[in-house]
Amino acid sequence: MLIQLLNGVVYGGLLYLLSVGLVLIFGLRQVVNFAHGALFMIGAYIGYSVAAAGSWWGGLVVAVVAMAIAGCVLDATLFRALRKQDHIVTVLVTFGLLLILETLVTVIWGKAYLRYPMPDLLSGTVDIAGSPFPVYRLFVIVVSIVVALSLASWLRFTRIGLYVRAASTDARVTSIQGINVDRLSLIVVGLGTALAGLSGVVAGPLLSLSPTMGNYILIDSFIVVVIGGMGSFGGAFVAALLIGQIHNFGAIYLPWAGTMLPLLLMVGVLIWRPTGLSGART
Amino acid sequence: MSLLAFHDVHALYGQARILNGVTFEVGAGERVALVGRNGVGKTTVVNTLCGGTRVAQGRIELRGRPTKDLRGYSAAQNGIAIVLQGRGILPNLTVEENLLLGGATARRGPWTLAKIQELFPILSERRSNPGWALSGGQQQMLAIGRALMANPDLLILDEPSEGLAPVIVDDLAALLVQLGTDGMGILLIEQNISLIHRVAERFYVLSKGSVAESGSLHNVSRDELQGHIAI
Ligand SMILES: Nc1ncnc2c1ncn2[C@@H]1O[C@H](COP(=O)(O)OP(=O)(O)O)[C@@H](O)[C@H]1O
Ligand SMILES: [Mg+2]
Repeated sequence: MLIQLLNGVVYGGLLYLLSVGLVLIFGLRQVVNFAHGALFMIGAYIGYSVAAAGSWWGGLVVAVVAMAIAGCVLDATLFRALRKQDHIVTVLVTFGLLLILETLVTVIWGKAYLRYPMPDLLSGTVDIAGSPFPVYRLFVIVVSIVVALSLASWLRFTRIGLYVRAASTDARVTSIQGINVDRLSLIVVGLGTALAGLSGVVAGPLLSLSPTMGNYILIDSFIVVVIGGMGSFGGAFVAALLIGQIHNFGAIYLPWAGTMLPLLLMVGVLIWRPTGLSGART
Repeated sequence: MSLLAFHDVHALYGQARILNGVTFEVGAGERVALVGRNGVGKTTVVNTLCGGTRVAQGRIELRGRPTKDLRGYSAAQNGIAIVLQGRGILPNLTVEENLLLGGATARRGPWTLAKIQELFPILSERRSNPGWALSGGQQQMLAIGRALMANPDLLILDEPSEGLAPVIVDDLAALLVQLGTDGMGILLIEQNISLIHRVAERFYVLSKGSVAESGSLHNVSRDELQGHIAI
């Protein structure tokens, strides 16, 4: 039971890393980034290639840095240009980007499933309440918690964090205070995509690599964002843990309902509380 | 020195031309009113200053320098603080966070968080409350306090008396006169004749997107001003 609970936290942690990036990007750019799952996937492939060349931890760093740069480029080009467009346009453009990136990965790495290795340091199991539990899964939980805590304190206690929260609520009012919101979103989008890269690498050894590996988890991440309340960082954390548990226990006790449960929960939340669990006020 | 000047500015939202040649100027330490009925384009002047419209013709000068490519932050970075129509309080941030945001440009001057909390004690009492929890009058104090945090040379207020009780409008008038006396330039966008008369020295009347009338308020009675606005 405890082990099952922990497995749910592992998936919830991965979901959190992805969905908080979506929240960051949506907050500053009002862009629903369908390409986020592709960035997760590319992060995993880059990490895989560096790991295959000899350094697992190097792969982690390279993937995160590469995705941060990719995010800054995306923001300065696509997202800035999309700022004044309809939501449907941004959805179509980021969806197109997803398809392009998938094709690109297929060309470079091929379609076949690849096995992402595990770092030696984190292989093996520990004993938790009498059952063995993989050290690597504990590592995933720790990474998610460290990211969640750092991000929360950055947003809460630093000046830039204050600007980010302000711009996520109202970019116009924030810029009128003298803040260059375009420069701010460069940082924020870069951070969001870096987290996608990070979760791709961290998830790599748990999933197998394929050009479409990001699609399923992206849908769950969108569900997390909606349930947590579009634009709420704390809400995303709680919702990610919730969906992680539902995903896990659903797979065990209600396998026939498996993938449907998170969607049903989302519909329920939308009916009962359209602004999400955090209930952002308007 | 001129802090803000519009010269024959034509501005559009998409295809809709709202400003048709607006010309006005506010010098350092001047108290100027921009008046006009609903829908004549007063807020559009503010939006244009913040880069929210397309300027098809004309020139906007900040501190005497012609400025191309205005952005939301341009005014603030040139020492101009704006109290937006509707106040623009960030509802999810606390009162204190809203104030700190106003100090983003970190210009030096007499106004600090402590000074503003002294001026408006309620903002100190309610410092940890979210912005949405304030009453209309308190939100207006917060909006003005936030603007003062920038230690501006010019303070622009877009219909600040809207929705305020008359006694609070009296306080507002006294505060704006005091700020002006201390050397701050003020551009008061208003329809409240009594507030305009108490605060401003000069006026411009905006009508259908251009300036129809201007002059010194010393030579104009309230009824005459009302008549100008009604055109
Ligand atoms: N974002 C916008 N897009 C198109 N038209 C607008 C927009 N904002 C205002 N308008 C129009 O511009 C005109 C002037 O509006 P505004 O500047 O808000 O007037 P005022 O502040 O003097 O009441 C109005 O006719 C209004 O309908
Ligand atoms: Mg207006």
